[in-house]
Amino acid sequence: MAVTTYSGAEQYNFDIVKKFAVMSLVWAVVGMFAGVYIASELAWPFLNFDSPYFSFGRFRPVHTSAVIFGFGGSALFATSYYVVQRTCQTRLISDGMASFTFWGWQTVIVTAALSYVMGYSQGREYAEMEWPIDILIEVVWVTYLILFVGTIMRRKQPHIYVANWFYLSFILATALLHTFNNLAMPIDLFSMKSYSLFSGTQDAMTQWWYGHNAVGFFLTAAFLGMMYYFVPKQAGRPIYSYRLSIVHFWALSFMYMWVGAHHLHWTALPDWTSSLAAAFSILLLMPSWGGMINGIMTLSGAWDKLRTDPVMRFMIVALSFYGMSTFEGPMMSLKEVNALSHYTDWTVGHVHSGALGWVAMISFGSLYHMMPKLWDTKIYSRKLVEWHFWLATIGIVLYIVAMWISGITQGLMWRAFDEFGNLQYSFVESVAAMMPFYAMRAIGGMFFLTGATLMAINMFMTIRQGKRESAALEAKLAAKMAHA
Amino acid sequence: MSEQKLQSQTVQTTGHAWDGDLQEYNNPLPVWWVYTFYATVIFAIVYWTIYPSWPFGKGWIGGVSNITYVNSEGETKTHSWNTRALLMEDMNKAAVAQKPYFDKVSAMSYEQIAKDPDMSGFILSSGKALFADNCAPCHQAGGQGVVGFFPNLTDDDWLYGGSFDTIHETLMGGRRGYMPTFSEVLSGEQIDQLANYVASLSGVDHDAGKAAAGEVLFHSETAACYYCHTNNGTGRKDMGAPNLTDNIWLWADVPAAGGAGGKVAAIRSVIANGLNKGVMPAWAGRLSPEQIKVLTVYVHELGGGQ
Repeated sequence: MAVTTYSGAEQYNFDIVKKFAVMSLVWAVVGMFAGVYIASELAWPFLNFDSPYFSFGRFRPVHTSAVIFGFGGSALFATSYYVVQRTCQTRLISDGMASFTFWGWQTVIVTAALSYVMGYSQGREYAEMEWPIDILIEVVWVTYLILFVGTIMRRKQPHIYVANWFYLSFILATALLHTFNNLAMPIDLFSMKSYSLFSGTQDAMTQWWYGHNAVGFFLTAAFLGMMYYFVPKQAGRPIYSYRLSIVHFWALSFMYMWVGAHHLHWTALPDWTSSLAAAFSILLLMPSWGGMINGIMTLSGAWDKLRTDPVMRFMIVALSFYGMSTFEGPMMSLKEVNALSHYTDWTVGHVHSGALGWVAMISFGSLYHMMPKLWDTKIYSRKLVEWHFWLATIGIVLYIVAMWISGITQGLMWRAFDEFGNLQYSFVESVAAMMPFYAMRAIGGMFFLTGATLMAINMFMTIRQGKRESAALEAKLAAKMAHA
Repeated sequence: MSEQKLQSQTVQTTGHAWDGDLQEYNNPLPVWWVYTFYATVIFAIVYWTIYPSWPFGKGWIGGVSNITYVNSEGETKTHSWNTRALLMEDMNKAAVAQKPYFDKVSAMSYEQIAKDPDMSGFILSSGKALFADNCAPCHQAGGQGVVGFFPNLTDDDWLYGGSFDTIHETLMGGRRGYMPTFSEVLSGEQIDQLANYVASLSGVDHDAGKAAAGEVLFHSETAACYYCHTNNGTGRKDMGAPNLTDNIWLWADVPAAGGAGGKVAAIRSVIANGLNKGVMPAWAGRLSPEQIKVLTVYVHELGGGQ
């Protein structure tokens, strides 16, 4: 065993994978704590403490950036470096560049969070970072792209494994999205404040072209890449259909770019733009499901693993939530459904069924598979993995159900007219009606956070165990050498 | 393509292997997946036919569906589908339901509206919606106001009068409450004496000696409080000067202030600093005459309308 680690460390750069994997768990706990905190602020507003630093408006981007870019981003860096090296049978082309992406990316997350709390924000959803941080992201991302493409080009395998297409599309699309969404003019070279190059409806359109494709390529394509490596590995079975993987990859990549405008139904956006996006969202349903089918069918013939392998269970639940939320999304993008769901908590619930159910669960499963291998040991406690699984699953269900009820309630209350033709409810009455569901959502979040914390502890112990084992082995070897 | 095909399964793999054991079956596309995709294509085409969809030249291709509604002038309008027409359709549906009631509102007197059981449902419904949209931000959802900022509309105390006509006047023209600053005219001791006297008027704990001196000042030309608040301290509604004898407080939060000293201090602060913040905006022009009439009756019925 020690021998494989030793040769593995020479063959591949696993140090960078380890660093990103550890930070992924750190950001998971930090980001989910921020999420639970702001969810609690909505239910119990005294938690604002009348301080701007604790306010929802400043903490919300701390939460989204820490979970999407901190947790999700670090998990993607870790797994993509792991997968590209193993499936190309070659080392990353540059350790220095890899290390730069690590320190650069962590700096981005920390400075972004600090700047939000201090009140700096571009006001662009999921791209709140002001221009100096945007420039750092750009540099880190281009380095990532060069590193990834360079490594693929140096592969010792004739074919590029499907997971790498997905990772590459994610890196390319994110570079494109980040660049155009953040075109802005700083008011001064030494000021954090900038103004976007776009205005009005065009600005809204740019923001949601970015926003939805961030969902499409960062939160979907990239994690499908993760799925395409870790699900067959964990199941010990081949991917169900190579053909399906090609067809749904290209269909997904083509369709996603059209649908951003469905976030702007019933706004000043021209009607034709919004119906175009709605129909493309429906067209996106089957391409999205291609990934789910390929993942779930890979397990067919090995269903017993669901009973025996908690890590596999994370992956299958992730795929199920992926299928559910990629069905819900197109439904919500139809104008008539959107008339009810727009601006309500239903949207928030939808995002979280994707983010918690799909993105976080597939990341947990993949990290549980990968981290013991990186430190050449077994998971410290399978029981804790079981606990994590149930806490996370119950947490998601509580969260989504709460948001469905509150979202639909909001939508119905806002549109209700009485027999005299007057609005039946004032807005504040709908806010008051949300209270129990906001509390339920915060509790769901607490479940999920508790699960993630257990995972962090479990992985910390796993790493310690791995280090102890390899130290013991080396001591044994040294003793043998001394005797010989 | 690698030629060494692995034939151990009934379905063949593509023959590639990565990282030891990673392989892919060469299963065909699931038939139901393909047909569902075709169904979504048909759906999209139908959707694009119904709604405006593709850009064309300088405009776009309109959908085949239309929206027809009757506007407030009773004219029937038909537009090809668009968001604005849909909004007009919804709003006009509401306006049509409201119209007979608003017609009655403009024809009836306040007293008639207040007494008519048929109208009370409409006043409650329409008044609540109008109040929530326009008045609640200051006066709060139930009209209870905020001490120190916005008057309570549910009690019997009216700054400018609680009759239908005065409430209407308040709504139409707005109000601006004003009390001069006395800190530059009177000494600290005099202000303290006045505050004790004002406290005594409402039976709030005070120093009797100071209150007696304050009473003299109150009616003197030096302070001249009686000009606005009258000799008895009961105030003048024509200028919005509040009644000081009813133990109802708007500006000085006397009930919340701690101890006798705190209560008098709260009053002292108002006398010393004066007031220039009792501003209520005018609603004439912003709301229709019928809406203001509805609000007048609604506010009158909220509490002790006179």
